[in-house]
Amino acid sequence: MATLELQGIRKSFGALEVLSSVDLELEDGGFLVLLGPSGCGKSTLLSIIAGLEEASAGDILVGGRRVNEVFPKDRNIAMVFQSYALYPTMDVARNIGFGLEMRKVPGPERVEKVRAAADLLQIGHLLDRKPAQLSGGQRQRVAMGRAIVRDPDLFLFDEPLSNLDAKLRVQMRTEIKRLHDRLGTTVVYVTHDQVEAMTLGTKVAVMKEGVIQQLADPQTIYDRPANMFVAGFIGSPAMNFLDGTVETEGGPALVLTGDGQRVALDRAPAGQGARVIAGIRPEHFTLGEGSPVRLTGRIEVLEPTGPDTMVVLSVAGREITARLPPRIGLAPGAMIDLGVDRSAITFFNPETGTAL
Amino acid sequence: MIGELSETRYWMYLLLLPSLLLITAVVLYPTIYGIQMSFREMRLNRPDLGTGFVGLKHYQRMLNDPIFWLSLRNTAVWVTFAIILEFLIGLIAALALHRNLPGSRIFAVMILLPFFLPNVVAGHMWSLMLDPRLGVINDLLLKAGLIDSYRAWFADPATAMAAAILVEAWKSFPFFTLLILAGLKGIPTDLYKAASIDGAGPVAQLRLITLPMIKTIIAAAVILRVIGLVNSPDLLLVLTSGGPGRSTMVLSLFAFQTAYRDFNFGYASALSVVMFILLMIFAWIYIRLSRINQE
Amino acid sequence: MPRSRLWDLLTYAVLVILSAVCILPILWTLLTSLKYEADIVTREMIYWPTRITFDHYVTLWNQSNYPVLVVNSLVVTTVTVAICLVTGTVASYAFARFRFPGRMPLMMGYLVVRMFPAVMMIIPLFVVMRQVGLLDSRVGLAIAYTSFLLPLFVWMMKGFFDAAPKELESAARIDGSTRLGAMVRIVMPIARNGVLATCIFVAIAAWNEFLFALMLTTSQGSRTWPVGLQLMVGEFQLPWGMLAAGGIISILPVIVLFALIQRAMVAGIAAGAVKG
Ligand SMILES: Nc1ncnc2c1ncn2[C@@H]1O[C@H](COP(=O)(O)OP(=O)(O)OP(=O)(O)O)[C@@H](O)[C@H]1O
Ligand SMILES: [Mg+2]
Repeated sequence: MATLELQGIRKSFGALEVLSSVDLELEDGGFLVLLGPSGCGKSTLLSIIAGLEEASAGDILVGGRRVNEVFPKDRNIAMVFQSYALYPTMDVARNIGFGLEMRKVPGPERVEKVRAAADLLQIGHLLDRKPAQLSGGQRQRVAMGRAIVRDPDLFLFDEPLSNLDAKLRVQMRTEIKRLHDRLGTTVVYVTHDQVEAMTLGTKVAVMKEGVIQQLADPQTIYDRPANMFVAGFIGSPAMNFLDGTVETEGGPALVLTGDGQRVALDRAPAGQGARVIAGIRPEHFTLGEGSPVRLTGRIEVLEPTGPDTMVVLSVAGREITARLPPRIGLAPGAMIDLGVDRSAITFFNPETGTAL
Repeated sequence: MIGELSETRYWMYLLLLPSLLLITAVVLYPTIYGIQMSFREMRLNRPDLGTGFVGLKHYQRMLNDPIFWLSLRNTAVWVTFAIILEFLIGLIAALALHRNLPGSRIFAVMILLPFFLPNVVAGHMWSLMLDPRLGVINDLLLKAGLIDSYRAWFADPATAMAAAILVEAWKSFPFFTLLILAGLKGIPTDLYKAASIDGAGPVAQLRLITLPMIKTIIAAAVILRVIGLVNSPDLLLVLTSGGPGRSTMVLSLFAFQTAYRDFNFGYASALSVVMFILLMIFAWIYIRLSRINQE
Repeated sequence: MPRSRLWDLLTYAVLVILSAVCILPILWTLLTSLKYEADIVTREMIYWPTRITFDHYVTLWNQSNYPVLVVNSLVVTTVTVAICLVTGTVASYAFARFRFPGRMPLMMGYLVVRMFPAVMMIIPLFVVMRQVGLLDSRVGLAIAYTSFLLPLFVWMMKGFFDAAPKELESAARIDGSTRLGAMVRIVMPIARNGVLATCIFVAIAAWNEFLFALMLTTSQGSRTWPVGLQLMVGEFQLPWGMLAAGGIISILPVIVLFALIQRAMVAGIAAGAVKG
């Protein structure tokens, strides 16, 4: 177990800069989720932490020790790959025990540890099978077993659940969380599934094009996204954005750019006449008279999901989605007047996209 | 140690080193040596001629050497007809094998086998079967009424080249079968399903789906085979030695015999350099053309 | 479905005819090698002999230097495969696993080398080999063979290594193995069939080779069977029966090896040729 610190990590493949100055710190026993769209450099960053790729610049510190020049085999890190990367010629027991074998752990001790890890993951009965004879979920467990058996300083997970079906994914997610609670090992976990990020992480780093956009605990990321990218990336359905101009005369308000609708606010996010973008999450709309902040739009589509109904409306020429209770008897084409939880509105600078 | 060395960033170059050294020693150095030999007098049977520098002498001689021009023409005939035959038979065999009917595995072994046989044996097998006195083919053709009397296929300038090309086609058509088969495996079967739903028959499917999809692989196979046909004189050496009367003399054979029989290494080198340059020019033009076709 | 039945029938017709064309010459040679000389040289062609004999084989084996030729060929083939295996496996591994400056030009180089005319290589090799005393030696011939077989080996082998996922090496390195260890312990066992197929392909090519051997060997001590057989035909007017017997003996190992590992080999050749 150890802390992890990255200082100014850069990585280029030839002329292509994949990571530009990544800094982060993770406390001992922390669970960091790296979240970002495909191709943003998440796997590359993991490879650099593991030592499989060399950083073009910057330092990697594990447990306070600089490990840039340490070979991967000596870093005492374990990793679970998206494809699991089980050794096809070896049986499950040898797959799990391979790390111990390489570290010259004596036979009997190895057998014991492999068995313990396998039991923990409930794959004790599979030990003499070959990877080809396992189901997807079982392979995933073997890959995990291979990681935990060595008691490493650091776990790296690269989208470990993305090859599983939806149900198994939820189940394994819970299991990973339980495993982390139990073992307490520091974890870096890559995913582009934001639910995994929110449920698992003690810290979430949202990445885009090789730059960390925001590093914070999951609730902060959700409630106070640092910029429009993070706001739009986290949450499903995504946050709604409305363009408008701030007015301070006659009570703070936002005048929507498309239709001139005036939305009353409790405080002005910027000076008179400033252009802003208001971000409102779907669940912050309410039906009925309760809220003073109101927004009018035309219903385009209704998408009942069971517990909620997603209402897609057209407001000021933009499509926005509101999460409303089911069975409310609305019909497409009708005009609707919604309340907004105004404390939950986030404002962004339209030029830079950063939160105000 | 080596294990630790393998963790450094120069590991791949280390892995490449042995083969690079070897290739340098057995290919690069001899090639350069051979090119400069083509500008020298070098006759192993007449050391008195020395190894002096003679400039373009060999190349000039070549221009006025009727055998060179004849070999060049024969090479063109040899390559063109052999390629056409090999491609057509190879394609038909591949299409038949690709249907994967029961027993295909056994048929594949039998059909691909000739490609793996030694030229020396293949050559003598056919010499035996085409023999003017004992040849089984003569006998069969006679019994079928296609010829009136036994023929000396390889001794008659009119038939020698054709007979040699048939033997070559027999031996090497499986190369096309092999590559085309690999290409066919890469075509998604959905395409055919979609096409037959749209009402395309087998011939239309071949023309509209199969051939376009394996165009690149065919192009690659053709160029590889052309290289093989131009470069290796083995089969002709066994079958005819270029005869009768040089009617089957091709460039590679001419160069080889100039070296092997006359020990005139200088001229032989010049011949092979010219052959190589012609081949390169052909390959370049061919690749250009087949790229353009793709667009 | 009468129409697809018809196509099936046509397919079988094509397959049977082609197989016959491919196999019958070999069978005819086999038959000839088992006939008495009197049944070969006849007025009326004898298709199915009433008596057979192994005399041609016995004579060839006992009274000619054929055994020596075969041993020489075995030595040359083994040495060729060994050299390719040692130097080629690691090279193809490097090409398959790593992206590094110079990779593409080097790979192209290995491809272009395959285009060099045999004659162009043989003449200078003759001179060079004579200078270093490797002319007319089995090892020298094997080294000469690597000039065209090593590039082939590398391309074919690369195809097999490409098929093993890169993550396996990463996983092994994280598990505490070096790159070398990962290659030996993890990747090689996976590519084992590929290695075998590639080796057999190279072995067949070396076993069959004629032109280099004709030029680079001059004596009994190093001559391989294709050269020996060809010279026997020229010098002693070798009778058809013995020639056929020699041919059959020599292609027997090829046929057996090819039949055994046909599928892997076909895949490898296709991969090597296609990517090139
Ligand atoms: N060896 C390499 N050479 C060149 N470019 C590379 C290499 N490895 C990765 N890249 C590039 O670096 C970028 C980041 O790749 P990376 O695999 O880290 O993305 P990722 O965030 O893990 O994406 P995904 O979610 O799809 O796995 C991509 O644009 C990729 O094309
Ligand atoms: Mg990735």
